[in-house]
Amino acid sequence: MSINLNTFFTALALVVWLLGGISVQAVMADLPEEPLVTKMAPDQTIGKQGGTLYTLMAKSKDIRMMTVFGYARLVGFTRNFELKPDLLKDIIVEEGGRSFTLIIRKGHRWSDGHLFTAEDFRYYWEDIANNKKLSPFGPPQQLMVKGKPPTFTLIDEHTVRYRWDEPNPYFLPALAGARPLFIYVPAHYLKQFHASYTQAETLALLVDKYSKRNWAGLHHSRARQYKLTNPKLPVLQPWVNTTKPPSERFVFKRNPNYHRVDEKGQQLPYIDQVVINIASSSLIPAKARAGDATLQARYIRLDNYTFLKAGEKQGNYKVFLWKNARGSQVALYPNLNANDPEWRKLMQSAPFRRALSLAINRHEINQVVYYGLAIEGGNTVLPASPLYDKKFTKNWCQYDPKLANQLLDELGLTKRNNLGIRLLPDGRPMEIIVQSPGESTEQTDILELIRDHWRAIGIKLLTRPSQREVFRNRVFSGEAIMAVWEGLDNALPTAEMNPKQLAPSVQEQYQWSQWGKYYETGQGKPPQQPEVLELVNLHRNWMHAPNIQQKSDIWRQMLSIYADQVYTIGTVTGILQPLVVSNNLMNVPKEGWFSWEPGAYFGVYRMDTFWLKTKAGE
Amino acid sequence: MFNYIAHRMLMMIPTLVVISIIVFTIIQLPPGDFLESYMAELQSQGESIDKQKIAYLRQEYGLDKSMPEQYWTWVTGLLEGDLGYSFEYNLPVREVVGDRMYLTIMVSMLTIIFTWIIAFPIGMYSATHQYSWGDYGLTLIGFIGLATPNFLLALVLLYLANVYFGVSIGGLMDEQYVNKPWTWDKFKSILEHLWIPVIVIGTSGTAGMIRRLRANLLDELNKPYVVTGRAKGLGEKKLLIKYPLRVSLNFFIADIGSMLPSIISGAEIVALVLSLPTTGPMLLGALQSQDMYLAGSFLMFLAVLTVIGVLVSDLALAALDPRIRLTGGATK
Repeated sequence: MSINLNTFFTALALVVWLLGGISVQAVMADLPEEPLVTKMAPDQTIGKQGGTLYTLMAKSKDIRMMTVFGYARLVGFTRNFELKPDLLKDIIVEEGGRSFTLIIRKGHRWSDGHLFTAEDFRYYWEDIANNKKLSPFGPPQQLMVKGKPPTFTLIDEHTVRYRWDEPNPYFLPALAGARPLFIYVPAHYLKQFHASYTQAETLALLVDKYSKRNWAGLHHSRARQYKLTNPKLPVLQPWVNTTKPPSERFVFKRNPNYHRVDEKGQQLPYIDQVVINIASSSLIPAKARAGDATLQARYIRLDNYTFLKAGEKQGNYKVFLWKNARGSQVALYPNLNANDPEWRKLMQSAPFRRALSLAINRHEINQVVYYGLAIEGGNTVLPASPLYDKKFTKNWCQYDPKLANQLLDELGLTKRNNLGIRLLPDGRPMEIIVQSPGESTEQTDILELIRDHWRAIGIKLLTRPSQREVFRNRVFSGEAIMAVWEGLDNALPTAEMNPKQLAPSVQEQYQWSQWGKYYETGQGKPPQQPEVLELVNLHRNWMHAPNIQQKSDIWRQMLSIYADQVYTIGTVTGILQPLVVSNNLMNVPKEGWFSWEPGAYFGVYRMDTFWLKTKAGE
Repeated sequence: MFNYIAHRMLMMIPTLVVISIIVFTIIQLPPGDFLESYMAELQSQGESIDKQKIAYLRQEYGLDKSMPEQYWTWVTGLLEGDLGYSFEYNLPVREVVGDRMYLTIMVSMLTIIFTWIIAFPIGMYSATHQYSWGDYGLTLIGFIGLATPNFLLALVLLYLANVYFGVSIGGLMDEQYVNKPWTWDKFKSILEHLWIPVIVIGTSGTAGMIRRLRANLLDELNKPYVVTGRAKGLGEKKLLIKYPLRVSLNFFIADIGSMLPSIISGAEIVALVLSLPTTGPMLLGALQSQDMYLAGSFLMFLAVLTVIGVLVSDLALAALDPRIRLTGGATK
């Protein structure tokens, strides 16, 4: 059916073109009846369609970034991180966040020309999320509230409703995520791979053709809406992949049925195609300098800035500096669940963690490694977040070795060996081995500086680099007493975003991975410490908080506890991310946040509004 | 002779079985499995991980089975010509390797030819003109090629080629020809890019070959049969090529065993630095992410080629040098 429709439209376009009426492009474009009119930001202008944008990636699976950059979501964050309907015409939240009614645009089409309707949601819910073969573990976590799934109601062709017994604050942010929760799929396309809709013999042939084990594997491999590995899969994103992997070059063509237009009524995206070339990551800065990329940020770091800046004229580009939204560029994670009983006791003691933090000379780190461009302080939210408070950054982060020494003395750690290293109560010298994944020289450089700082308070720091998987396992098992990693993932939260990163909630929290695992899976033991339990409690309360005011109060309380208890030791933040932007490419903001969550990198800046002054590369 | 070949062929089977077990074990030695490293990678980029999905994938890929079971699935698949499934690429291994194989063979063949063209005349010259200025000079150049780290040479040449000839950085062709059918322009573009890897990979092999040829030839040059030949009035050129050179080529034939696999694997590090679309970087990536079937099938393929290569070189040696006799009771 889909093929027929497409052929039909092509034929129609040809006829109209032959009649000498409108241009083929204009007819091929098939807007929804109620397209989304995108207002340009103050620093953007209305552009024109056409051209090719080149960018570089290091692995062919990086093409999933196009789903991130494209950022067409059911609801999406704006530049100011407010949630607005995007693919949806509207979304109605009722019953205090229990019921969500989704209204689809009339006449909205998938990239292959087939209508996007409530059926696409129903198919996902009934035939994928609740199909034992395709989802043996049931619907995804974000759709479960206290272990219970929502009731799904198909109201009419353009309306569906999800309703939970309890409020579900995860729902909308999950839909708006950089890696979104896809609760809709192109049902018309996927039915041919589904046992309920296709005869067993036909399916067996297809399973064989794609060398899959069974039809479930086939269905999954054909339906990767995030990874984009199937060029035949219809999408709603601004650009559609046309290249079958594996390849060294991927071409994304504009989606003729995209739902956004500019104020003049021109359909977005402006840029006709995005070409992703695969090159080894170490060559990417050099290739960008040679002018091989129209827009490049991934695989470029602050260390490349001067090199790239020097090539601006030759490569016909400009280097912009955006900000990174990590809570701390490099943070230390004392392991509160360490196996070693002596160290565990110390790591669980707040004065000890405070002393470690106070002894770090953040100003020196900033000057030595970041040209003084970073913000010095603890691992917390950034000033641009509405939840920011100066004291979160400053708490226990001033450089005060005297106070640090005093705190340690008060803990009874007064004995020292002949080298001046303090001794643990059982007589061992205090040597903190920091486990590192061993990937970035940045971490090693900073640890090198901290080594000297801690030497002044009688603690020896040793680094143990390993491989990422080994590193994780050491922390999870409790073998590590301290780990080094990046700070908070999302340092630009609003009150509506889940504060789970501040309370034990998942295993991937290196300061208390075993407590995190307890709350994630129920295995292991819960924490006993009142402050940690308070965080858990506050996190729980946040889910049921009826309004924004209460939510942001809870956030602030959590941040305050987190900063006061120094569960993680931050160093510097606000590190700049260089962007190589061709002089030909318009509408890329000079300043912005380069963050995965909540910004989806270029996503919230609407890459579909970027346009080319002349047809680049031709 | 036939018995000998048959015997050798039969011996290849247990050899390959042992190799396959070792290969599979070694790939599995690092802690965790593909999904663990996949999760770690996602996390480092800030992406979240759905534990349920990982559990599902583990089941789907058969990673929840015991090690011997996984090995058995893989090996029986290999026998049926199924190279297994690459987790990293979400494709059967056969499709992943696909075109890369041709480009790798092309790069490697050219490199080998390049090495021979350079090394043979130099080696012969050096041996016949021992301790002359030419010998020292050429040897020096050879050693420089051997001593310079390949990746460094690759980067320097890459930079120069870009600045002076406008050749795009990295890759084997200009980007517009990727995935396109073969045309004259595409071929030219490949030639433009090809010389860098060929020189870089070739230089390191050249010096070794020069030295070995020189040493072997020197051993032969003063032997009585050469003197006799000369006394009987053979021309110098004919004498050299027909007798001592032929004898000193033993090492060269013996090399075929290791050459076959290197044609497929190419020079991994150089290919990585130059971001060549060859199989080397792919193997490296597969090992890093514990994409075990891709890495395993690849290594097995190399093992098979090595075993065949050794057989070929043994047979060729016997043919080339009558002094070499087959042992094990078989006679020629």
